[in-house]
Amino acid sequence: MRKFATVFTIMGLLYVLSAFFGQAELYAQTAGASSGSLANALNVFWKHTGFSSVDYKYLLMIAVGLFFIYLAIRYNYEPLLLVPIGTGIIIGNIPLMEGFQIGIYEEGSVLNYLYFGVLKGVYPPLIFLGIGAMTDFSSMISNPRLMLLGAAAQLGVFGTFIGAMAMGFEIREAAAISIIGGADGPTAIFASSKLAPHFIGSIAIAAYSYMALVPVIQPPIMNLLVSKKERLIKMKPPRAVSKLEKILFPLIGLILTLFISPSALPLLGMLFFGNLLKESGVTNRLAETARTSLIDIITIVLGLTVGASTQAVRLLEDPVTGEMVNKGFLTSGSIKIFVLGAFSFAVATAGGLLFAKIMNLFLKEGNKVNPLIGAAGVSAVPASARVAQQEGLKADPSNHLLMHAMAPNVSGVIGSAVAAGIMMNFLL
Amino acid sequence: MTFLINVENWEWSDIFTITLVGYSVVFLVLVLLIYVFKLMPVVLNYKKRKSVEPGGAKMKGTEAHYVAGEVNAAIAMSLILYFNEQQHDDESNVITIKRVARIYSPWSSKIYSVNNVLR
Repeated sequence: MRKFATVFTIMGLLYVLSAFFGQAELYAQTAGASSGSLANALNVFWKHTGFSSVDYKYLLMIAVGLFFIYLAIRYNYEPLLLVPIGTGIIIGNIPLMEGFQIGIYEEGSVLNYLYFGVLKGVYPPLIFLGIGAMTDFSSMISNPRLMLLGAAAQLGVFGTFIGAMAMGFEIREAAAISIIGGADGPTAIFASSKLAPHFIGSIAIAAYSYMALVPVIQPPIMNLLVSKKERLIKMKPPRAVSKLEKILFPLIGLILTLFISPSALPLLGMLFFGNLLKESGVTNRLAETARTSLIDIITIVLGLTVGASTQAVRLLEDPVTGEMVNKGFLTSGSIKIFVLGAFSFAVATAGGLLFAKIMNLFLKEGNKVNPLIGAAGVSAVPASARVAQQEGLKADPSNHLLMHAMAPNVSGVIGSAVAAGIMMNFLL
Repeated sequence: MTFLINVENWEWSDIFTITLVGYSVVFLVLVLLIYVFKLMPVVLNYKKRKSVEPGGAKMKGTEAHYVAGEVNAAIAMSLILYFNEQQHDDESNVITIKRVARIYSPWSSKIYSVNNVLR
């Protein structure tokens, strides 16, 4: 708490400083300083600093960025994402004088070139390539019926779609927002870049924030929906999967899923390609690059630019009324997106848990699934699987659910990409 | 561009259609994958099963062809322990110190004395 007080005090001091310099500027103007004088030079310099155009909204966003970095470093919440995004938020909310090709939205600026990859959906498929190259699908192949949990958790996507429509969003915006329920950052960014590019920042920040908060969001819902007796269910160990099956999985998955939902091609195509690189056994160098250097580079650039796109104030002319409207991050739309994001994660978790309970009604004793692993269907690899494992261990320290939870977890990735593809099929 | 839904003048029925169709398609894709991967071990082991069946030993489904991961882990662990034991047995059994090292130590060297009195 003291740390927060310190941060806000510094923010306040900066604001007071800006107000003081604003007075100095006014003095320089009233004194009628001639060009070339010290007062005028200082005035010009002042106008080029961030203090001259600072607004409390920028400071608020900088505080959000610092909070993300704090969460990542202090609590280890998704540090690989929150540190670049938090830094990006700070970079994007430094008040700038426009026209010098510096800001992310200014054509020709370095940040704008990097942001191109977000706007055109270049980075998410590359992230998926890396995910494919690092994911072991054998737990899913050994127990395929657990894939249903990944499908059930997509209730979060479609429930949020209805919710977003009810909250007054335009249909494509609602579809883009709904993908937050897939708990998959790259998929959410990809879908919003196609369906609602003006909301990329808000959607990405909401998706990644809630993904980082999975260990906080999911346990209360698990406690609410899963009884003590159900938590104690022990599942059969997964069988060993042959190498041939592992090689065939990406090929069959690629053909089957993309014939049904071709719009998911950039995401699922790269996911399965990455997995083939890993499992084929003859392209180790490529797989190694995809799962280490490549995904790291893309994560850095994606996180930073997504963070930087959250400019608090961005005045743009409304095409209909001609008035200047704030299309920046701090709008009522962003707040609604955050509310819907929380709702979508809760619904997705509940969907997975309840479906696991329904599955148990039809399964014989000994074959039953522990409903806790249903929560892993929300994607958010591997955080949600880890939560299922931890909750399982709390009930029975000898009950390890991680391997079982990985099956709905990775099928959730496929499910959310398919859901995004369907949304794009309908609306693009 | 052709839209399946009128994005400007949508109705609630359109929204529910997208929701229902979308959710069903997600299930359809994953159910298809389930069937494929349930069938795959059966297909892959078809030849093997055929060669075993005439001999009398019938195998039930796919379970008989695979060893559980934890059994594999137990076998691997026992092999590691076995080989480690072998290494242990191969040791020379000579436990005497072979060489007494006389390493120079300046702890009592006269040249480092405080008072180097010339004689």
